Amino acid sequence: MIGIDVERRSDLSVAKPRGDIDAANASQLREELANCLTPDADILVLDLSATGYVDSAGIDMLFRLNERLRQRRARLLLVIPPGSQLARLVEIVALDRAVAIHDSVEAALEADAAGTAPRPGSEGD
Amino acid sequence: MNAGKDKPQGNVAHLVTGDGEDKRGRVRYASDERLQGLHSVADATLGYMPLEEMLCELLERIKTVLSADTAALLLLDEERRTLVARAARGLEEEVRQGVRVPLARGFAGRVAAQGEPIVIEDLDRAEVVNPILRQKGIRSMLGVPVHVEGRVIGVMHVGTLTRREFDGDDIALLQLAADRVALAIDRARLSEERAVTEAMQRALLPDVLPEVPGMRLSAKYLPAGSGIKVGGDWYDVFQLGDGRMTFVIGDVVGRGVLAASVMAEIRTALRAYLMEGHPLSRVMAQLNDLLISMGRDRSATAAILQLDLQTGELQGVSAGHLPPLLIAPDGDARFLELPSGIPLGFRAAGQYPSWRHLFPLGGALVLYTDGLVERRGESIDEGLGRLLEAGKQAAGGEEASFADRLYLKLAEHTSLDDDIALLAIQLVPLGDRMQLTLDASPGLLEGLRRTVARWLEAQGAGAEDVFNLTLATSEAAANAIEHAYGAREGTVTVTCEKLENGARTVTEDSGRWRASQPYGRGRGLAIMDAMTEGVEIERTDDGTRVTLTKSWRPRR
Repeated sequence: MIGIDVERRSDLSVAKPRGDIDAANASQLREELANCLTPDADILVLDLSATGYVDSAGIDMLFRLNERLRQRRARLLLVIPPGSQLARLVEIVALDRAVAIHDSVEAALEADAAGTAPRPGSEGD
Repeated sequence: MNAGKDKPQGNVAHLVTGDGEDKRGRVRYASDERLQGLHSVADATLGYMPLEEMLCELLERIKTVLSADTAALLLLDEERRTLVARAARGLEEEVRQGVRVPLARGFAGRVAAQGEPIVIEDLDRAEVVNPILRQKGIRSMLGVPVHVEGRVIGVMHVGTLTRREFDGDDIALLQLAADRVALAIDRARLSEERAVTEAMQRALLPDVLPEVPGMRLSAKYLPAGSGIKVGGDWYDVFQLGDGRMTFVIGDVVGRGVLAASVMAEIRTALRAYLMEGHPLSRVMAQLNDLLISMGRDRSATAAILQLDLQTGELQGVSAGHLPPLLIAPDGDARFLELPSGIPLGFRAAGQYPSWRHLFPLGGALVLYTDGLVERRGESIDEGLGRLLEAGKQAAGGEEASFADRLYLKLAEHTSLDDDIALLAIQLVPLGDRMQLTLDASPGLLEGLRRTVARWLEAQGAGAEDVFNLTLATSEAAANAIEHAYGAREGTVTVTCEKLENGARTVTEDSGRWRASQPYGRGRGLAIMDAMTEGVEIERTDDGTRVTLTKSWRPRR
């Protein structure tokens, strides 16, 4: 099973999976990520900078996780290094139209604090 | 009272000749009765009987020859330092009740501890541990040690219900019987131990090394000398789900079944810890704590190395094990003298620093145990020097395997009284065609992607092309795994072929399609389509074949 580094703060959590997200771990990862948020927190920052590949099962998982958090009035912010292969992939599968993508954890938090985080449409997949 | 006090050993010749003129005479011209006794004990046919039968027969004969009422054999349990009743005549209860006599105590315990014959003329005045002797009303006793190669392995004794003075001839005769027993027991133990250790060895050492593209693995295990006392040397190779290769080499101190069983425990625990994905330093520390907590009075040295095939990065940790030998592609060889913790099993909370090193393509890595480099009477540096040279030469050859070539260079220098375990890992360039067969388990997808990506890089694909075709192939394999799952042959085959300016992967499963079943998930197909130039899906009677093609501009 893939390891996740989780940092829990009062209003948000930052989770960083160490490795690929694929059919082998997607559903378990979704549960673990959804449980990362403390009751008062409403933001989950998912840092994919240590993730090489995300396959279709992983992409499905991210869409569903986003939907699940939205129903809990929480938000998912994705961190994907700009120019990476993963950044290209999320465009191809249009994940970037459902979830806010940021270059770094700091950028994600700043943008959110400033209220400038792109509010993506909620059409999901 | 110690009848053997003034004799150096409880050996027939000494007893007979050492006891003075008249005794010597009596034996030399022994009475018919004595001679018959000797024959009866020395009888060669005893040697052809199964052990149990032979022991009983011999005890019966000695009882008769010495006109005794009881005869018994106790064997030493070295672990517990006690004597255990093994066979008896006239004292069968002793065996049935599993009588145990602590070493150095009681009658038999003292015979074993002193390693010399003891005579008791009156049992009432002696310390006796075994209550059965008194219950039986035994009055006088004679006991002799059972020796194997100077070690006491048991005690043989006879007893009489009436008071009796055992003389030197009696002692000599009983000792002769004990010597026969010693030989028979030793032979039986050796063959038993050989059978057990051989079975353990077969079960524990990987009989087939994994086939990994771009890697040539070879290994040797040579038990010491006669091959009777197998030691605790071992090696292990396996691939983690993420594609990283793990190599283990180790050596449990000591020989025989106990060393081999501790080795088995370590090997199993190591696999479990490593599969849980703990960092190497932690795995080694856990292993050390485990060994200490189990109370095994054994220590071991071990090294664990993990190789990321894509980057060539080698990560390692050592618990007092000899340094791995790394042979560079240009033939230059050196030992990786890296930080090491203390051997396992000595002290709790040991620290095991891990290190990283590059393992270059075209290079070779050799892991070994001390039997390969240690020889009595010379410093280990000489052995290591020979290994270094042998490694360089082996790297140049092609015949047989690397491990074979290396061992051949060293065979004449290695000592026969230590085991040798040897594992050689060579990194070789990937060819322009690579075939992988995987079990239908999603846990293997990550390893598949790493291997395909490594192959694509070797074919000259750029980062984007590597990512695209790798991910698309992983999608095809994930679908195949889903379909092959539960099928009789639960395997998926991925073949990668170089094209003129690109590459093709063919993913085949053996799962049968239900007619209405759509191919894969919608998003998986979309990814394959977006990432490659050609997606071809064929359904056959045997399963499905997905061919993905990707071309790229040649790199300059």
